[in-house]
Amino acid sequence: MSRPKRRKRQEEEAELNITTFLNLMVVLIPFLLVTAVFSRITIMELDLPTSASGTASNKPAFAIEVMIRKTRLEVGDGRRVLVTIPKTGPKYDLRKLSEALLTIKKSHGDKEDATILVEPDIEYDDVIHVMDAVRLIEVKQPDSELTQKISLFPAISIGDAP
Amino acid sequence: MKTNRRIRRMARARKHKSELSLTSLMDVFTILVFFLLVNQSAVEVLEPPREIKLPDSIVEARPRQTLVITVSEQMIMVQGEPTISVADILATKDEILRPVMERLNQVRLTTIGLNTEAVAKTNEVVILAHKTIPFKVLKKLMSTCTVSGYSKISLAVIQKGSQS
Repeated sequence: MSRPKRRKRQEEEAELNITTFLNLMVVLIPFLLVTAVFSRITIMELDLPTSASGTASNKPAFAIEVMIRKTRLEVGDGRRVLVTIPKTGPKYDLRKLSEALLTIKKSHGDKEDATILVEPDIEYDDVIHVMDAVRLIEVKQPDSELTQKISLFPAISIGDAP
Repeated sequence: MKTNRRIRRMARARKHKSELSLTSLMDVFTILVFFLLVNQSAVEVLEPPREIKLPDSIVEARPRQTLVITVSEQMIMVQGEPTISVADILATKDEILRPVMERLNQVRLTTIGLNTEAVAKTNEVVILAHKTIPFKVLKKLMSTCTVSGYSKISLAVIQKGSQS
């Protein structure tokens, strides 16, 4: 009589008491959700010339300059303007800028620095977007969905447009 | 007879006892807690004020402990202290902003504690600027920073996934 009874009790499913754990979770999750930060801040480091005057004595022969003007973007090599990219609607054509810089990068592979020259009334937002476009280009792979990031001129300096 | 009735009652009670299945809920909770805890551990160095909307960018460099200059639509704040208004900057013709320069020097001289001292010694400054600030304001700020000896300038942005 007693033996089968004991076996039955052993067969019964062992259950964990998870009430305390659940309580902990219920408290922890709202707390962490409230304090969680979902927008992440990063910094864009500028590569400014060390002296404030900005006139380097031994100026290299070739310097990439991107000028942000009210109506267009201009890419120059320090002496003359190579490419002019007009605005498309209210926005700058950053795609074209990246592509123009990519062709320059292909012929000057070891060049890392570029200067962005900005007119005084340009908004900060546009300056950052142009800097992004100068920094790297995202090229879509023809056979896949993935985009490849190609670094263009990551050392960016900034100045006034002439 | 008595035991028989008890057995029947127990059987009925067991049948009626409905149980919540908490296993899947626990799984979700556990994953959530770990995700949030990991997120939590990345302590934010910079905390932008509510009224400042930073531009987005794809750069990935993490902010360090540095001097912080905040540019809202009205005010410039150096290490949390209002220094000069944007209207004043637009009005002045000087390339160097005197009040900002004084405040920067003051920060350098009056450091208390190891943390702020390290901040002042790095010669680095991060500018948190509102999206719509015209560039000439930033230009003046930057040249003031370089003149004051803070030669490494970084711009704070919000990270986004891809260019578009």
